Amino acid sequence: MSNIDRRTLVKGSLAAMMAGAAFSRSAFAQSSEPILLGVSGPLTGPNAQYGTQWKQGFDLALDEIQAAGGINGRKLAYQFEDSQSDPRQSVAIAQKFVSDPRIVMELGDFSSPASMAASPIYQRGGLVQFGFTNSHPDFTKGGDFMWSTSVSQADEQPLLAAYAVKRLGLKKLAILHLNTDWGRTSRDYFVKAAKEYGAEIAVTEGYIAEERDFRSTLVRVRDASPDGLILISYYSDGALIARQARQVGLKQTICAASSVYSPKFLELGGEAVEDVHLGTRYFPEDPRPEVKKFITGFKAKYNGQEPDAFNAYSYDAMHMAAAVVKIGGTDRRAVRDAFAKVKDVSSVIFGTATFDVESRRVKGAMNAELVVRKGQFALWDGKPT
Amino acid sequence: MSSWLDYTINGLIVGNVYALVAVGLALIFGVSRLINFAQGSIYLVGAYIGWVAVVQLHTPLPLTIIVVAVAAALVGLVIERFGLRPLQNSVRIAPLLATIGISFVLDQLVMLTFSPNPRALPSQLPDVRFQIGGGTIGPLDLLIAGVGITSALLLFVFLRYSKLGWAVRATAQDRDAAMQMGVDVNRVNQAVFGIAAALGGVSGMLVGMYYNQIDTAMSLQATLKGVVAEVVGGAGNVPGAVIGSLLLGLVESYGVAVFGTSYRNLFAFLLLVVVLVLRPNGLFASARQAPPEPLTGTFIAPSRPVRIPRWALLVAAAAFAILPLFPVSFYVLQTLINAWLLGMLALSLTLVAGTIGQVSLGHAALLAIGAYTSALLSLGFAVPVGLSIIGGGLMSAALGTALISPSFRLRGHYVSIATLAIGEIVSLVILNWESVTRGPIGISGIPPLSLFGYDLISPNSIYWFSLVVMIVLALLQARLLGSHLGRSFRAIRDDDIAARAYGLSLNRYKSLAFIFGGFAAGVSGGIAAHLYSYINHETFNTQQSILALTVVILGGLGNVVGAIVGSVALVGLPELFRIAAEYRILIYGIVLLLLVRFRPQGLLGTM
Repeated sequence: MSNIDRRTLVKGSLAAMMAGAAFSRSAFAQSSEPILLGVSGPLTGPNAQYGTQWKQGFDLALDEIQAAGGINGRKLAYQFEDSQSDPRQSVAIAQKFVSDPRIVMELGDFSSPASMAASPIYQRGGLVQFGFTNSHPDFTKGGDFMWSTSVSQADEQPLLAAYAVKRLGLKKLAILHLNTDWGRTSRDYFVKAAKEYGAEIAVTEGYIAEERDFRSTLVRVRDASPDGLILISYYSDGALIARQARQVGLKQTICAASSVYSPKFLELGGEAVEDVHLGTRYFPEDPRPEVKKFITGFKAKYNGQEPDAFNAYSYDAMHMAAAVVKIGGTDRRAVRDAFAKVKDVSSVIFGTATFDVESRRVKGAMNAELVVRKGQFALWDGKPT
Repeated sequence: MSSWLDYTINGLIVGNVYALVAVGLALIFGVSRLINFAQGSIYLVGAYIGWVAVVQLHTPLPLTIIVVAVAAALVGLVIERFGLRPLQNSVRIAPLLATIGISFVLDQLVMLTFSPNPRALPSQLPDVRFQIGGGTIGPLDLLIAGVGITSALLLFVFLRYSKLGWAVRATAQDRDAAMQMGVDVNRVNQAVFGIAAALGGVSGMLVGMYYNQIDTAMSLQATLKGVVAEVVGGAGNVPGAVIGSLLLGLVESYGVAVFGTSYRNLFAFLLLVVVLVLRPNGLFASARQAPPEPLTGTFIAPSRPVRIPRWALLVAAAAFAILPLFPVSFYVLQTLINAWLLGMLALSLTLVAGTIGQVSLGHAALLAIGAYTSALLSLGFAVPVGLSIIGGGLMSAALGTALISPSFRLRGHYVSIATLAIGEIVSLVILNWESVTRGPIGISGIPPLSLFGYDLISPNSIYWFSLVVMIVLALLQARLLGSHLGRSFRAIRDDDIAARAYGLSLNRYKSLAFIFGGFAAGVSGGIAAHLYSYINHETFNTQQSILALTVVILGGLGNVVGAIVGSVALVGLPELFRIAAEYRILIYGIVLLLLVRFRPQGLLGTM
């Protein structure tokens, strides 16, 4: 690229940005323009897989929203900006969205450092940051423009503990958890609940996200002689741990958090994840109509692919955004106020979702107790494994 | 006691896996004195080619290995021919940067072709397990060990007894002399890259089968562990790389045994630092081996810097200062704020890497120290934010210099590797020292920037604040470079023996450079902490360190204005390419490669 080209490119895009800001204001009045949501999330970088899963859920939900007549006759659309889950880029994206009058609400980001670094900008700019995967307990404390449908770990972990201790009868537990803000918070809630139910915690081991080899960790687990393994993991690391546990000869019952709920967990884990127990928010044969609609719709749109937990989060988030915008319209403050007004929005994760205005989160996630049988997720029949 | 046997076996098993990458790295380092940061990407490519062969084409295992080896070797040849050969007469550091750019491009191409979702790569070997101690091993463990040890032995024999092997070693010892003796140096390089890439590709495939999982994030981790193992064994020493890998696996496994899983990598990197400090040439380097780096400073070649007239700088500074008065969007301002913050880090690194020749790959650690200090001071001790940022700078200067001082005796690439390790160690200490840093939960609710009691929260005020801080630091640094200190720094960089003969105390000057540089980086981290309001151990990561080094090389090593220009360019380019969505990092990598190719001395030249 010659110097002249580069210079014109820079000038051109700067001019385009300014012109865009000026132009969009006038275009906004016309109702043929879609209502625009901003999404900040990873499309490249180490977390790129989650951004692609978000997109699948968003697109399916948008198809349904559009088919049902959109938002009072107007279409709903989103603008996805790649942040690589990097706080430096998520703050720039935040300013971009805040200063773009077409954006009525923001969704994301994925990781806590990227999301919470951008929160002050959204709060001061008066644009809702709807963090639908942000389980960090301090996320919604960033201000009254921060709302989240992420399942609170204070809700989820006691359910998992009840499954492991009360239903499966495990009394001495080894916990392996991702050493991130999510994994740590989850572990603490799990330990508290499990102890209340009368179980003993033999050992807890935190591992970093890039870890692939768990053999030595599993020797520590073996030496603590637990009768059950608890995995607070995502599906890829959960599958690795299950495989290696079986390879080193650990035969204990494995019980995992809902984040392993993905067809990839079965694919990556193979025979080793047979009989793994997990709590989830929904499951394939779930009789609830919203779940049936989600799963059949997803399979039809993506060549028979089974949806996973992150697909469900983003699908729900887009439907929630639509419900909010239906009430709040396109005024940013009204959109924020609408979060407190939406009632009983149909949701795969919650059944029906209503925000708790105090915590700006949704309580009461659905719960199903599953087990892997013959390479498929199935509702647990109460039989011991 | 039987547990210790299990820990030992597990250590050897995982060391086995590291060895596959380390051998390829050692081979390339042995010949071209280059740490090939693209080796992990070739490993990634090999894993995905293996997936295509196994899952789509259903090839049997021997054929799969051949397909992967040939395809990966071709990738290696392309990298050598088009990525590295054009750079062979330019600055020694240019190929290093080129391999980083190549790894961006390869990783992105794989991600775009195969999507970032992890995939299962089923093993094609029968699933029988042999009981050893309390655990079991399978046929893949044996195959991986077999491939690792056989390839190391074959390479050893090849290098020692074949004619091409002699040529390779001659080239490694003295490229010009080898050329004069009629060795076709290019052909040698080609052979080495082809072999190393074939090995890298096959190892990616085998490791993918081993874990039944491949994904695009495996590349950087493989490079990091491979580099550690290779350097522990003695850079460029092929059998040493295997032993270094096994040792690394053992140390990690015992670390887990004694302290728990979250300390695992801490031990890997501590091992590296200890080995570098005690035996800089690696554990298995023979005493009569030629020094790994030339005695004089050809690592960073001088070039004629572009002189920018003072009035032009003043005009540019004034233009940026009045920019917020015009109707520019806050997005542009925020992007420039990021550039000014990166600029402070780049000023620090350009002093340390460019002026005194200590190329650091762990500079993000200084940001983290500054950020945590400032955040904790303001939250825990109610120190006003302006003062806490200065506190962060001072802490970063003191702690950073103390941490790096054991590796002052190292040169060239070894400094980079030691600093890389120190950077990782700082991040892991932050993760594990929960009573102070709050571990993985991170620190939230950090108060916003403020000055004399006034909160700086509008983008305009943050913009001016960070611009002024950066300019002040830049002016101080320019003043420093113009003084006798600057001349001493450059003397040490260009020829440390001559400098020492002239009576300069190397350690004292290196400390001074790190103190000044640490302060600038710490201030940048401190400002960032108050800007983000939330930080954890992932906020300042290895990618930041690599980005900072890229900025510095792009701008011209040691060049103060260059560091700032480079920051604006490398923050701005990915933002300009936003329109390209998933393709933007690919484009960024290509632009980086073109810049290295056509302007290896940096945009403004080395000072």
